Amino acid sequence: MSILEAREVSKIYPMGTTNVTALDKVSLAVGEGQFVAIQGTSGSGKSTLLNMLGGLDHPTTGEVFFSSKPLGPLTKKEMARYRRYSVGMIFQGFNLITTMTAQENVGLALAFAGLRGGQRRKRADELLDRVGLADRLNHRPSELSGGEQQRVAIARALANRPKVLLADEPTGNLDSTRAHELLGLLREMVTKDALTILMVTHDHELATSFADRIVLMKDGRVVNGSDG
Amino acid sequence: MLSIMSFIDILHLALRNLRQAKLRAVLTTMGVVVGVAVIVTMVSFGLGLQGNMLARFKALDLFSEIRVFGRSLGNMAATTKDRGAGRSNEPSERRQGRLRPDNSPTRILDDTAVAEIAKIPGVAYVEPHISFAVYVRSNGRVSTQFASGVAVPNSSSRFQEFVAGKMISLPNTDEIVISERFAKDFGYENFPDAVGKTVELLAPLDEKKADKDEQSSADQEPANFFGIPLDDQAPDEASPEGLVTQTFRIAGVLKTEVREGPGQGGLRGLLPTSDIYLPLRTARAWTLEHRSPMGQVALELARGSGALGDSDTEGYDSAVVRVLDPVALTDVRKRIADLGFGSFSIVDELEQLRTVFLILDSVLALLGGISLLVASFGIANTMIMSILERTREIGIMKAIGAEDREIKLIFFVEAAVIGLTGGVIGTLLAWAIDGIANRLAYRFILKPQGASYVDFFSLPPYLSLGAILFAVVISILAALYPAARAARIDPVKALRHD
Ligand SMILES: Nc1ncnc2c1ncn2[C@@H]1O[C@H](COP(=O)(O)OP(=O)(O)O)[C@@H](O)[C@H]1O
Ligand SMILES: [Mg+2]
Repeated sequence: MSILEAREVSKIYPMGTTNVTALDKVSLAVGEGQFVAIQGTSGSGKSTLLNMLGGLDHPTTGEVFFSSKPLGPLTKKEMARYRRYSVGMIFQGFNLITTMTAQENVGLALAFAGLRGGQRRKRADELLDRVGLADRLNHRPSELSGGEQQRVAIARALANRPKVLLADEPTGNLDSTRAHELLGLLREMVTKDALTILMVTHDHELATSFADRIVLMKDGRVVNGSDG
Repeated sequence: MLSIMSFIDILHLALRNLRQAKLRAVLTTMGVVVGVAVIVTMVSFGLGLQGNMLARFKALDLFSEIRVFGRSLGNMAATTKDRGAGRSNEPSERRQGRLRPDNSPTRILDDTAVAEIAKIPGVAYVEPHISFAVYVRSNGRVSTQFASGVAVPNSSSRFQEFVAGKMISLPNTDEIVISERFAKDFGYENFPDAVGKTVELLAPLDEKKADKDEQSSADQEPANFFGIPLDDQAPDEASPEGLVTQTFRIAGVLKTEVREGPGQGGLRGLLPTSDIYLPLRTARAWTLEHRSPMGQVALELARGSGALGDSDTEGYDSAVVRVLDPVALTDVRKRIADLGFGSFSIVDELEQLRTVFLILDSVLALLGGISLLVASFGIANTMIMSILERTREIGIMKAIGAEDREIKLIFFVEAAVIGLTGGVIGTLLAWAIDGIANRLAYRFILKPQGASYVDFFSLPPYLSLGAILFAVVISILAALYPAARAARIDPVKALRHD
């Protein structure tokens, strides 16, 4: 059974007089514990699809299901809870809060879940230890390398124990060695911790070496949705 | 586990945001500081004015006294509206303004009436008022003076303080007390010099030949007496000039004006002041004996018209009723009106005064309110700037699960912190301004005039707390739009990697 599913999802952006169809009836199902890579040219709708699945945006038509439950009927507040507890997201640009340390960045996600004081710090330290940053707790993003920043982002994304991690070109700003290390970590999380990952990447080599399955997108459509 | 962000965390985030743009936060807060300082200074000045006025009235016994008016001889004598009678020519009446009764009296204020009024629950005492103009000789000098009767012993605050000597000892003595002015006018260098000296009241042998001067002042003095026993009257002596004199001994010199505290510079009580006070019965006897021609005419007319019985007295012109508790004043007045007398109380004026002060305070608060309104625009501006700078950060927070409510709360708390800080500092500033203004006023205005220190401002806790609360509320209101705008930020747009 799939944990995350897009069914006939379309996203149309009105642009002046014309409409831009970013997604055109995309259907995609991700099974629990899978590591799926999405590949496609720039502008093919990969980020748009990921944002729908991550609950940051609503489809124009179609529906997204998480554990077979549709996201459409959720209130704004329930959507916030969905983003907090059900899925974690990481981005090419890391999107860490630059004025906060690694520990504070991870702690912020925990704070939104109501975790306080020592408990929160302990959990943040555990998470940062898990991504190999036990000695970088009090570093700010500017004092960390790209790879390290993305690890902080992973720790933050997984803070409230989501089952799914959505990664939008996580290695886009990393050199090949750091990219391999990072995907090694993600692969390990899928294997060891039964995490489900849906990752957008340009890099076919990385996709084939680490993902269970590759989805190809073109002009807002899934070209091939077969198991890899 | 509580799945709600704690207030402490929201406060932390808010403070962190303020710290990141320290100068901006300080400048924004300054706006609130100025607004609150203006409000608090203005309103505390208004309240101070009001408080000082009330304290002054209180210190001068004005809240516990009622002036009661009976039907006057002039009123009974004249058949058209009489403009002359009932008009007071006493200097203190003029200074206090004309005290008009609320309703026109229908009864004569005689001794029976005084006794009835004294029996009304809550009345401490009733002091009938007798006042007359008279030629006086003392220390070899002569001049006309106003003399009043005074009940002995007397518990009103006016007769508590003396610059020299003491109060008249017994109701039937030939003692009098005089004002400071009297002592000066009659050439007593020091007040103690006057004590024990004699004062002669002068009257014509035959009052019907009263000279013109006395007539002109006495004709406007309706407080006259008739038909009372004269057994305690001191014997008159014939003077070399062919005048009747009655000799008194100065027992004390009154401290006429209140020099210290809230009542300073004012006259005490509703009773008109005089420069000579003699025992009530003596004064009564004098007015009876030395009636002015005008008074005589009024008496004859009143008797002729039947308004006054042939053997009836016309009663006192007025009396001062002192109540035990100012709270009971209104009730006592009602009872007095029921008895058929007119009355005056400063409380009447107070109601009008309250309205005036309410308007004054509102105008002052409005001025302050406007400056705080300006400050609120500053807050809104700061918040919007901050949102523009923090769009990505807000997007991140939403992406990792912040609810709209939490985003808004961060902004509200930020605004509240600005409002609270500005409010507290503004109140302290106002407090400092009040203190400095008081000191300057004392140094350059009061002290040169010999007056004691007066606190012109009143800064009650409710004003400080109210102003701070108001600043916080205004600040939060100013953050309403920015907060809503922050919550509306689209995380997809905010997080787009360009
Ligand atoms: N907010 C938007 N308004 C208009 N067009 C958009 C918007 N977001 C994305 N698009 C368009 O949708 C298409 C898909 O974009 P995106 O999902 O970002 O592609 P990818 O991530 O595959 O590069 C692009 O043509 C892009 O220009
Ligand atoms: Mg993209």
